[in-house]
Amino acid sequence: MLDGKKHRIAVIGAGPAGAAAAISAAAMGMEVDWYDKENRPGGKLNDYHQLFPDRSSAEQILADFEGRTEAIEIKKHFGTAVNRIETDNRQLILLSDNEIVGNADSVIVATGFDFFDARLKEEFGYGIYNHVITSPDLEQILKTNPEDLRKEGADPASIAFVHCVGSRDQQAGINYCSRLCCITGIKQAIEIKELFPSCKVVNFYIDIRAFGSGYEELYREAQEKYKVQFIRGRVSEASENQQHRILLKAEDTLMARPLKLTVDWLVLLVGMVPSCTQVQIDNHQCTDQETGFYQPVNAFTGSRMAGQPGIFTAGACGGPMSIPEATASGRSAALEAWQYIKDR
Amino acid sequence: MNTLDIYTRIQADPRYTEACRSCMNCGVCTAICPAAGYYDYDPRVIVNLVREGDEETLTDMLSSDLIWYCGQCMSCKPRCPRGNIPGALIQILRAVSINTGLFVHSALGRQQLAIKRSIGHNILETGYCVHPTRVDPEMHPEQGPVWAWMSNNANRVYGRFDEGYDKSGPGLLRKISPEALGDLDRIFEVTGCKRLWKTIEDESAK
Amino acid sequence: MKNYWKDYQKDIAEDNYFYVRSCIRQNFFPGAENLFIDILRNKLGKVVFEDADHTTCTGIGYHTDIVPLETTMTVVARQFALMKEKGYQNLVVSCVTSFGLYSEILDLWKHQPELKKKIAGYLAEATGRVFDEPGNMVHASDILYKYRNEIAAIAKYQLVNRETGEPLKIVDHIGCHYAKTFPERGVGGSEFPQVLTGLITAWGGSTVDYPERRHCCGFGFRHYMVQTNRGYSISQSKIKLESMQPYEPDLIVANCPGCAMFLDRWQYTLEETEGSVYGQNGRKIPVVTHEELAGIVLGYDPWEIGLQTHQVPVEELLDKIGIEYDPDLKYTDRQGNLIGNPEMINQQVC
Repeated sequence: MLDGKKHRIAVIGAGPAGAAAAISAAAMGMEVDWYDKENRPGGKLNDYHQLFPDRSSAEQILADFEGRTEAIEIKKHFGTAVNRIETDNRQLILLSDNEIVGNADSVIVATGFDFFDARLKEEFGYGIYNHVITSPDLEQILKTNPEDLRKEGADPASIAFVHCVGSRDQQAGINYCSRLCCITGIKQAIEIKELFPSCKVVNFYIDIRAFGSGYEELYREAQEKYKVQFIRGRVSEASENQQHRILLKAEDTLMARPLKLTVDWLVLLVGMVPSCTQVQIDNHQCTDQETGFYQPVNAFTGSRMAGQPGIFTAGACGGPMSIPEATASGRSAALEAWQYIKDR
Repeated sequence: MNTLDIYTRIQADPRYTEACRSCMNCGVCTAICPAAGYYDYDPRVIVNLVREGDEETLTDMLSSDLIWYCGQCMSCKPRCPRGNIPGALIQILRAVSINTGLFVHSALGRQQLAIKRSIGHNILETGYCVHPTRVDPEMHPEQGPVWAWMSNNANRVYGRFDEGYDKSGPGLLRKISPEALGDLDRIFEVTGCKRLWKTIEDESAK
Repeated sequence: MKNYWKDYQKDIAEDNYFYVRSCIRQNFFPGAENLFIDILRNKLGKVVFEDADHTTCTGIGYHTDIVPLETTMTVVARQFALMKEKGYQNLVVSCVTSFGLYSEILDLWKHQPELKKKIAGYLAEATGRVFDEPGNMVHASDILYKYRNEIAAIAKYQLVNRETGEPLKIVDHIGCHYAKTFPERGVGGSEFPQVLTGLITAWGGSTVDYPERRHCCGFGFRHYMVQTNRGYSISQSKIKLESMQPYEPDLIVANCPGCAMFLDRWQYTLEETEGSVYGQNGRKIPVVTHEELAGIVLGYDPWEIGLQTHQVPVEELLDKIGIEYDPDLKYTDRQGNLIGNPEMINQQVC
């Protein structure tokens, strides 16, 4: 409550960032309307198995969020995809396919991200060869049935990971780094080695970006404890032979010589792109022209977006970020929303 | 003291800004390069050496076989995440190597004389790069007996497909008119190709 | 590029073509280009114009570094000038290296208009001609791709094994300079180009995907032109042939004349030097060009279209499809007189 009145905030997106924002906003006494296009909360947390760097269970983190949102008063509108925000006086109107689904004094946009569509990098054969999969595909397999990785009853003999698929790549139209793919590749390589100790696991990388707390340590552990091999050179091309094994061409750049490798599975570490279900905000250009992610008016001072005041962004819809980073930005956006309402 | 200004010459080529931007050393070019799989050759290393811009290194490179391995397939171009074209950079390096005379210091570079005298002369003398009367089966046993038969019986073999063979007017391997050849000759003069050929001849003779 | 390249279609002109010939194709596949022209004029009713004054684009000279950039640009400008003088806007190019060269030059001029002006000056000075860029510029295989269904409708034969009823297994080989240099200039982009697979499937065949499908045939320009360098060239073709062998292809089709020539000739050389053959039953794999493939299904006589100029014999392929031919007319001239028989040392005889 503020000035004796109940102020209303809408949070669009029920992934980690949206959940953190909704919980914080409710804790600050605001009336929260919480939207998500899916019929359930959690966003991508529903699809993950273990989270880096400490291998926490995604299911448990999700359960924690669900528990905390149940414990407080939040109005849930799941299965409603808000795709437009308009302004009327100082009220923000939420629309889903031109139908008004709500209004609020302030809105936090937390629509998250999509994974890069690996079919766009045709030279890897994703969608053409069955044994070329993406990191989210692998995550699903690890979560639901790791046995699927075995071929004709035998453990896979070798699995390769390719870093930077759809990131840092002019040919893919994406020049930025997606930040989290390297640590994902390290984590998944370890998980494979735990499942199939005799499987040769090779990660083809350009730069290992292990910036987060515990990330560099996990990289070292992958090499020392799990004997994951890291070769510096991005795979250039993958093709399939008659035995349905995948042939790779890469350069070992540290040795300055080309190499070929045949593996049972190729895992593409795909980058993060803006969600296809982004929200249009009036007629304002709120997204970066190059990357398509939401861009705050001044990233150094807050997450307020262009145009109508009172709209803030949280989480990966503003750029690739990890779950702890997303939840922190969710909490921070809630505070900004509260301050906006207080000051206007 | 080296006054050839190799790096300046390289950067002055119209193709340079497209060919050589910045390199993150991912290696996808070398991975796919047919020459890298056959020779001791690494296009990624070439791009890096050029970007370093060291005159002495570049002078050595342009005097060596290293720049003559590329087969010009351009398989590197669609893959490079920074949009570089190693195969086009090679063309620039070769042009500078010839223009500065450095090409004669390598065995592969010295082949330019033979190519100039075959392909080059073919172009101005016939209007084609290749002509049946100029692909000697003796020098091309790999072409096989059918080619020998074609080349040795050119009038009758080619004549079967087009009566216009080696005659004026449109048609298969027509005799290109003296006027058209004159156009080519003057183009080669005005655009500096003849000058290049003179450099190839003169430097090779030293 | 956020394109699904395999679905990418490019703009291909419908008619009124200005056709420029290929040095390599004319030399090594002498029946092919007149066949292409005949198909367009007499089977598809198109206008095809060939200017007697057009020359080589100098592509081979350019890629062997004896013809500098500005010279090759000016020669190409001259080709465009001839086109303008005769009133045509739609350029159809027989050679794939040429096609790549025209693409490269048009792109350079787009980004550096002052360079284009300079070349215009050179052309005027040397020849007095002026040029315009073509309104549409495609490779000859693109035209056949565009009209593949029209050709299928009037085809006499299918790319099917008459005995087994199975579609023929066909390797499509795309010249590197078709789509690797500018993917937007190739139907289907650079990784899985569709220009030849479209023909193959429209005419009843099936395509073969094998690991070295995208690998260069190894022409290498200087690597073939200079005798001592040929090891490079043959090695690259060998890599491809070894890779496709387990899939037992019936046929290879290539849209670049150099590629077709190498894949055809190097099989002979590999057998002579190593005893290796890569086709079914210890035989070699026949190689044809895109227009020859069209000519085969349209029922043209194999010797009239020049299949006898291939080093790998085509008779077994023709028998598979059920095409009739007169073996006695294979090595005859226009009047029907035998020119002589190429030597058959250690050569498979069909």
